[in-house]
Amino acid sequence: MKGILSSFVDGKGFDISLVALPLTFLLTLSGLPLIYNVLMSFQQVDLFSLGTFWRPFVGLKNYAELFAQPETWPIFANTAVFVVSSIAGQFLIGFGLALFFWTNFPGASWLRGLFLVSWVMPGLVVGAIWSWILSGDFGVLNFLLRESGLTDGNVFWRSDPNYSLWGVILANIWFGTSFNMILLSVGLSAIPTDLYEAAELDGANAWQRFRTITLPMMRSSIGAILALGLIFTLQQFDLFAAITNGGPNNSSNVAQYWAWELSFRQYDFAKGATVSVIMIVFVVLASIVYVRSTRHEVRR
Amino acid sequence: MGIYKYAVLGGACALASLLNLCVAAKADDATITVWSQDRDVRPAPNLIADYNKLNTGIKVEYREVPFDDLVNEALRAYSTGQAPDIIAVDNPEHALFASRGAFLDLTDRIAKSTVIKPEVYFPGPLASTMWEGRHYGVPKATNTIALYYNKDMFKAKGLDPDRPPQTWDELVDAARKLTDPAANVYGIAFSAKANEEGTFQFLPWAQMAGASYQNINTDGAVKALDIWKTFIDERLASPDTLTRGQSDSTATFNSGNAAMAISGPWELDRMVAEAKFDWGVALLPVPEEGAERSSSMGDFNWAIFSSTKHPDEAFKVLEYLVSQDHRMFRDFGLLPARTDIPFAETGEPLKDAALKVFLEQLKYAKPRGPHPEWPKISKAIQEAIQAALTGQMSSREALDQAAKKIKVVLG
Repeated sequence: MKGILSSFVDGKGFDISLVALPLTFLLTLSGLPLIYNVLMSFQQVDLFSLGTFWRPFVGLKNYAELFAQPETWPIFANTAVFVVSSIAGQFLIGFGLALFFWTNFPGASWLRGLFLVSWVMPGLVVGAIWSWILSGDFGVLNFLLRESGLTDGNVFWRSDPNYSLWGVILANIWFGTSFNMILLSVGLSAIPTDLYEAAELDGANAWQRFRTITLPMMRSSIGAILALGLIFTLQQFDLFAAITNGGPNNSSNVAQYWAWELSFRQYDFAKGATVSVIMIVFVVLASIVYVRSTRHEVRR
Repeated sequence: MGIYKYAVLGGACALASLLNLCVAAKADDATITVWSQDRDVRPAPNLIADYNKLNTGIKVEYREVPFDDLVNEALRAYSTGQAPDIIAVDNPEHALFASRGAFLDLTDRIAKSTVIKPEVYFPGPLASTMWEGRHYGVPKATNTIALYYNKDMFKAKGLDPDRPPQTWDELVDAARKLTDPAANVYGIAFSAKANEEGTFQFLPWAQMAGASYQNINTDGAVKALDIWKTFIDERLASPDTLTRGQSDSTATFNSGNAAMAISGPWELDRMVAEAKFDWGVALLPVPEEGAERSSSMGDFNWAIFSSTKHPDEAFKVLEYLVSQDHRMFRDFGLLPARTDIPFAETGEPLKDAALKVFLEQLKYAKPRGPHPEWPKISKAIQEAIQAALTGQMSSREALDQAAKKIKVVLG
């Protein structure tokens, strides 16, 4: 008895209870809904059977029907374009800015803090602002492009199927860049400065220092930020709701917005769940990358 | 705790009875809950506050639910046995509930009622409350769409401001004359957005040409969609029509960036306040002289959930709400869905003239559906509109595809 008690004060029991608490929390609030979602994708879900747990099983019917719809592949292709372009844009600009502020000119840390404003703004507000910026007739972006002579007429960012997805990507890059920058800045400041001094003495130029010191030292930071970026872009919903609603003609529709549309606009909850399950697979892959790239940080 | 609660209650009653307020409060009071999207200036909360002042022994509690959540919340509440007693539901979604027995069949109660008389309602709104010939609700208010036009711009471009376009050809012609890219003016503003608004705006055009949602790929409907395409392709309307809702589209009319706009009476108050020009409202132009008129029909219906524990009391509350229909015009700027309520002047001449046109247009308003799977039918129509207007399909192909999808839904 005393042994068990003391193990709770200091020992295995204490460790287990520490782990058990968040684990229970995680399982009830994330695990159960996840399982429920997967279950729903194999069931025939009806508006009025929403409250019940056991509904008729239909096997893979929801999946088969989903992939028989003509819009499915274009929407998944859009999702891929959206994720890859957003992450590439956010990461490259974010890394550039992080390197820029790393030079530590007067006011650098202050300016870097200001950049975070974009990240703390609610997505719907960002979406509403970009919706004005991208507006075809009186949008600020069109005004800038026209006045600077880059385009002749107005580009209908929201309504032209060739541009609508890119309009949202543009907004999303602006939205996520500062987060990338902050995380990468943290990674950069962790690199010991004597490495650079030694390399400089050996005559390495700026590019060589970047390629042989900065990049390898940043590997885990970069892996983490790319994995987080994938998760965040796959979560991005507000911008679509505020700027294009996935239109015109699904040209800017992506899986996450479509899942919501299926469930809560057309009340086809099973299909909505099916799209979500497909997305879960990709998010799990990203999480594995994230966990692997941050693992040796813990060991250190 | 319990004793304390009763003491407070008793104290409150003693106090209140001095003011003669506690007389009607009996132990078996029924509490009726009402859900709607109406905010403070709209009918539901005001009518309910007035009803509670009558002290009939029935207490009504009101909950405002945002439009986007209303159906989802109601479905969830119903499937877990926590539905409100009364709800104001958007008319195309009425059949979804009625067909599944979620709404109480009011047919027998209405037959006995001295307040609710089905024959006084406009046919469109009434049809949206019915399912298989039975009454599952009562129209709350109604609205429809018509053509707003800027009389000053008509004069400036040599068009007769007292003779707005009557036919589709005249409308296209007027839009061409009124479009002035140099002055940032489009000929016409409407909404082809990929949500219910797009369907709401397009169906009247198809219906005027003899089509219906069950039969959407007729020659007339193809012609209607072609005319919409003309508006977009010739830049007589902004390409953003495809992603802009009715409210944002009409805002461009108010600011003088569109010479005509297709929208509903909900815009009147804003237009009176914002538009710095002379404007009027005309019936929606028809395909050709003498063709059938049509329009869409919006707004909400009252219904009682079948799960209510107090159906009689809920019906009494419903009767009270209906008895206040005459206040719709003046107090809330809405159109009552009834033909027996005389038009009440609002004192604003432009608004009064417009309301009269909307009342005329209402006679031709048709409900969307009623069909329990309306959102899917609507989605097929929206996709056809967008596919055609973006040039990814011809109007014929797009509507053929929509017809095929709708056929699957209709079974």
